[in-house]
Amino acid sequence: MRLGQLAAVALVAGALLPTAGCDPGARAEIYVQRFFGECGALYGRETDVAKAEGECGIVTAMINRFAARNPDLQVDTNVVAWPGYAQLAAQIAAGDPPDLVTMHQSVISDYQSRGLLEPMDAILREAEVRPEDFTVAARRGVTKHGAIYGLPWDTVGGLYHVNTALFARAGLMRAGKPVLPRSAEELLAHARRFKAATGKPYLVQSQVNDPATHVRNFYTYLLAQDAPIFPDRDHIRLRTPEARRVVALFRTIDREGLTTRNQDYPAAVASFMNGEGGVFLTGTWMLGPFEQESRTPGRALFGAYAVYPYPRLWGHEAAYVDGHAWVMPKRERTPAQRQALARLLRFMAAHNFDWSRTGHLPAFQPVVESAAFAALPHRRDIAPLARIGFAPCPMPRSVLSFLPLFSGP
Amino acid sequence: MTAGRPARRLEGLAFVTPFLIVYLVILIYPLLMGFVLSFQRADLFGARTFVGIDNYARLAADPVFHQALGNTFKLTLLIVPALTVITLALALALNRPTRGAAWLRGLFFSSSVLSVTIVTLIWRFVLTPDAGLVAEILQAIGAEPIPFLSDRNLAIPALAVTTIWWSIGLPMMLFLAGLQQIPEDIYEAAALDRAGRWTRFWRITLPSLRRTVILVVMLQTAAQLQLFGQAQLLTAGGPSGASRPVVLFIYEASFVRWELGYAAAAAEILFMLVLLVTLAQYWAARPREGE
Repeated sequence: MRLGQLAAVALVAGALLPTAGCDPGARAEIYVQRFFGECGALYGRETDVAKAEGECGIVTAMINRFAARNPDLQVDTNVVAWPGYAQLAAQIAAGDPPDLVTMHQSVISDYQSRGLLEPMDAILREAEVRPEDFTVAARRGVTKHGAIYGLPWDTVGGLYHVNTALFARAGLMRAGKPVLPRSAEELLAHARRFKAATGKPYLVQSQVNDPATHVRNFYTYLLAQDAPIFPDRDHIRLRTPEARRVVALFRTIDREGLTTRNQDYPAAVASFMNGEGGVFLTGTWMLGPFEQESRTPGRALFGAYAVYPYPRLWGHEAAYVDGHAWVMPKRERTPAQRQALARLLRFMAAHNFDWSRTGHLPAFQPVVESAAFAALPHRRDIAPLARIGFAPCPMPRSVLSFLPLFSGP
Repeated sequence: MTAGRPARRLEGLAFVTPFLIVYLVILIYPLLMGFVLSFQRADLFGARTFVGIDNYARLAADPVFHQALGNTFKLTLLIVPALTVITLALALALNRPTRGAAWLRGLFFSSSVLSVTIVTLIWRFVLTPDAGLVAEILQAIGAEPIPFLSDRNLAIPALAVTTIWWSIGLPMMLFLAGLQQIPEDIYEAAALDRAGRWTRFWRITLPSLRRTVILVVMLQTAAQLQLFGQAQLLTAGGPSGASRPVVLFIYEASFVRWELGYAAAAAEILFMLVLLVTLAQYWAARPREGE
């Protein structure tokens, strides 16, 4: 091909390309990025959300259902390994972020303070999602300087997941409910009694490659003692008598073999499911899977599972909580894409109950108060989390970065 | 003839220009940009302020960076000599034209084709004290499982073993190639002189492989000073930073904490380190007079 011909082809192609992008008949394309795992093999074609289980299953089925109900839209989903922030930062730096992305509410400030997120008040209005319906915790989690920067989806926190069969063997059941400690000394007494009776550790903890476990325990019991964790924007205060008390307790538990040791997250989950310990200190996201185990005959947790917020050991009841949200990184979008996003946000908000089957607390007050939510197993037991849950503020990003506070599967 | 020379020179330039352009754009330019960045307070999203040597001063006083440097040296020292000796021994053992040797060469090389994700997954199954292979063996003989990945004294040796297993292929092949270039008649002459196996190894094989040994040591030193994937996936640098190498430190500073200038300064220090160690090895192994 001669140079003149080449130039002519290039000119024609150049003239056609922009028109192709603006074709009114073309489907609006939205690019959704999320964590919560990849389970396409199991739920890749599932559009019945009620049939899906677990975080990954439910979110996959929800997006499938939205795509099936909106054939005029092209929904591309990118699943990132938890938490996916390094990838998101690189995408933003490269000028190609997703349209909608999952983000922990505690992380929103990092991106919002640098002007990397779109305020979402207007698009939520367009989606007919009323921020007045958000729970107090959810609204606090997504509101920065008076503007809303995300569609809150839940409130997540650490819980005491209990193997009641082992508790019964240790004589730690009363009126069909586990006896939880009311002080650090009582916790040690229960743990020693449990180990003597069952030969197994009282606690199951994922302590390898999972600093989130320690942070959840540590922050929760610092909050219970009203110890200020972040005195200002630039400092964290940890050398306090309150902090020493918490560390001393967990060191004693570790030294006396009252906890599993050297387990990473998958190992700890397997250990609890196989009945290798009494209490698994992990988050709301495991309520669904453990509940399913408790309904499966032949499993160690069959008919032997209960779950509660962390017991009060010092001061008052408290729980360190966070939440998931859908946020919109700043980028250029066509009106059709904005409209498509508004539809997706409305759909996500309307299905908040489905998401609460994961074990997380709903982000919408009407869902929290609904009979359907109350009818879900164990939800009454963990309901206090919504009342006692708190996220210390301000959270310097250096702390956040090194300590991912809530690690789901 | 003289008129043809400039034309041929242009032809030659035309051949190397595409490579030079790619080399300049993806290697030299980023290298210079990284150097400039190391004197700035910069984040991933375009904010840039000149801060002089502040990043370097902070690194000099940063105990986490010092720990990462120490870990990197420990890893390199554990991996490079062991890898060199093991791969040389394997090459010597497998340098024979039998079907079994060919099969074993392929077997030993096979680990090199695996991605770091698969390698760390395999070694997690081997090392984890909770139902890992080593733990099962230890428990079968009545011993306690060893927490290789969560003990601050064992995490680095665990990473070193994983890396050696993964990296065996290429050095072994280099040694095999070197061995096959040694003329057979030297060995025949040595046999006539009734030289023993050890004498032949020390007097013929090793001196003949000198350049290959230098190459393997230099390549592996440069590679292990930049170790990253295994540490990130197997231990996440833990416990308490006990197995965090410098590249993981750089990754965390840039992509997790968004301190791009600080990370660039650490990367420059690592670059100088790799350069110095490589040059020192090159200098130490240079041919002396009379050699």
